Amino acid sequence: MKGHKRDIVSTGKAPLKSPVAVSVGLHLLVFGIALAGWSWNTPPEPEPRSISARLISPEPRPTPVVEEQDEADKEQERKQAQAREQEEAERQRQAEEKARQEAERKAQEEARRREEERRQQEAQAKELAEKQAREREAARQKAEAEAKERERQKAEEERKRQEEAKRRAEEEKRRQEEQRKKEEAERQRREEEARKEAERKRLEAERRLREQQLEALADQARQEREAEARRQQEAAAARAREAQMQSESDKYQALIRERLKQAWYPPSSANENMTARLQITLLPTGELASVKLVGSSGNTAFDNSALSAVRSLNRYPIPDNRDTFERYFRQFMIEFNPQRLR
Amino acid sequence: MFMKSRSRCSGSFLKTPVIACLVLFLTASLGARAELLIRITEGAGSAIPIAVVPFAESGSMPAGDKVGSIVQADLTMSGEFRPLEPSKMLSLPSERSEVYFRDWRMLGQRYVLVGQLTRNGDRIQARYELFDVNQEKRILGETAAVPASNLRSLGHHISDRVYEAITGAPGVFSTKLAYITVSGEGEQTRYRLQVSDVDGKRSKVRLESREPILSPAWSPDGKKLAYVSFETGKPVIFVHELATGERQKVADFPGLNSAPAWSTDGRSLLMTLSRDGNAEIYRMDLASRNLTRLTDHWAIDTEAAWDHADRGIYFTSDRSGGPQLYHMERPGAEPRRITFGSRYNARPRPSPTGDYVYYVHQRDSAFHIARTNLETGEETVITRTGSDESPSVAPNGRLLIYATRQNGEGVLTVVSADGGAAYSLPASEGEVREPAWGPVTR
Repeated sequence: MKGHKRDIVSTGKAPLKSPVAVSVGLHLLVFGIALAGWSWNTPPEPEPRSISARLISPEPRPTPVVEEQDEADKEQERKQAQAREQEEAERQRQAEEKARQEAERKAQEEARRREEERRQQEAQAKELAEKQAREREAARQKAEAEAKERERQKAEEERKRQEEAKRRAEEEKRRQEEQRKKEEAERQRREEEARKEAERKRLEAERRLREQQLEALADQARQEREAEARRQQEAAAARAREAQMQSESDKYQALIRERLKQAWYPPSSANENMTARLQITLLPTGELASVKLVGSSGNTAFDNSALSAVRSLNRYPIPDNRDTFERYFRQFMIEFNPQRLR
Repeated sequence: MFMKSRSRCSGSFLKTPVIACLVLFLTASLGARAELLIRITEGAGSAIPIAVVPFAESGSMPAGDKVGSIVQADLTMSGEFRPLEPSKMLSLPSERSEVYFRDWRMLGQRYVLVGQLTRNGDRIQARYELFDVNQEKRILGETAAVPASNLRSLGHHISDRVYEAITGAPGVFSTKLAYITVSGEGEQTRYRLQVSDVDGKRSKVRLESREPILSPAWSPDGKKLAYVSFETGKPVIFVHELATGERQKVADFPGLNSAPAWSTDGRSLLMTLSRDGNAEIYRMDLASRNLTRLTDHWAIDTEAAWDHADRGIYFTSDRSGGPQLYHMERPGAEPRRITFGSRYNARPRPSPTGDYVYYVHQRDSAFHIARTNLETGEETVITRTGSDESPSVAPNGRLLIYATRQNGEGVLTVVSADGGAAYSLPASEGEVREPAWGPVTR
């Protein structure tokens, strides 16, 4: 068709007698061709096959369309037509009987009409042949169309399949996308959860840390309190120890005093002005390590009485506590000074 | 220049720590010097344990008490010692090498006296040592010799030496006692002035009389006794020389002549005379027989004794309505009443140290010996017996002898001057009264 048009165009290049007419003609031609091409190209609209099924009715109403359609159908049609023709023939024979006069009368007419009819039949046959040719052509075309259609359908199917595949792919893709999204969402959810979990953990950790810190602070405070309490306790204990030592010292001083009092025989010559001062050194066992007269009374008998008294104790009563002993009784002074004389 | 400044610098740097150190050291040493001091102001108040080991003897010894026994008895009588019974001794050492202090210490003894006696012709020599058990030290080591007949004197001498070594005060075991004994009844009644050792042994009658003898008083040298004798029918004061038995009538004034008391110089006697109508106290100079009247009161003043300084006198006077003690600080001074505790306080005897006066003291119808602390005025009854009289203080002031009644008889009892231990002298025949403790003589 393009070639055709090209041809026309090329003729258009020939010298023009009337450009408008040429143009109009050309346009018309093009339009006509286009129209012809259009109608040519327009594929015959296939009759929906289902119609015949729907139009089953006792009244045979053969339609060319129907006949056109299918060999089997046509056979069927034919058989039906035969049946119908037989019935018709019966009817006709019966009618002929009645109508033989009529037929006779009409014989000439009949003959003429038959002639006419034969001619018509011939025309009809010719037309039929033509029609059949057309039909074959149509069938061919139809087959072709059908093939085309099949092609098309196939293509369509292919397309559809492809579309389907595409759709499926898309579906798949979508699904995958959804899946992905879902997974993403899941992932995000998980991430979120993880984040939340992490956050929670962090908070928890922070809380724990805070708690730990608080605890540590409390602990520290407690420890400080305890340390303070301990210090105070220790101080108190030290004081108590001191007091204990003091009281122990007092106690053992009293014991020593009592023992020495029992051991001392102040001589007759003693008087209140006499004082003998002795430095005592004890062993941790309470035994006397040494005694030294560091201050004489001026009276030998008196000094001796003191020395003798101090030496007379086998073992001095001393505290068990070594500290107290070391502090007070390792070395100490004894002063003999009579206050109550006989 | 640099060196100079540096040395100055280091010098000043050095000083500070040194001072700080010194301060610290001082503080520390002050702290450390706060040394425990225990004061002992009271003694056991009981007798001192002493082991008097029987003396070893070589050669024949006279019969009678052993020296060790005499010493034990003396020390026991003093009230200040508690001699260990020889039966309890683990060993009988007689010299240092034999003394195991541990043993004596175990026995609780403070002192151990060991010795040995050796016969040397008619004399006996003693060698004795006294040990301080605790100090493991010999505190006395001497020798002494006496005629074999005078072993008791040796014992008393050793007692004196031991006593002095331990107590620091002279012993009185070699002193004498004078006292009066009464025996017999009616026509047979005899009054005897006797002199004995302090333990009552070796008593000798110096005067025997049908009439009462009263108030013997020792001269300070221990050679004479003054006393009141009724031998002439009335109280007369005699001075009796013990060595010769020579007697002098020193106060034979009308009325009462009584209560003689020697001054410490031995040159004068205090006495109570009523020659002027009332009993007053006089001092008689023995050489000139001159009298000085010391009291002048309508009441009775008697029983005078010099105070320890020989400056003033103590005496008994009933000028307050009953007998009470008075002290006249010096002759002619206004007498000051000393006793207030009861209605009857008489016969004052001051202690040789001047801190107490002893006297007869009535309390609840019983008569005791009491003493008053002259410084504090505190009065203490020191005897537990009930009819006590005639106190006489030992020259060391530690002991007191007095007369009392035991089982209806008059006896002499020695008691610690503080009222501790009491020791009754063995009764001789009859009743014993008016003891007088003689002076320490060397």
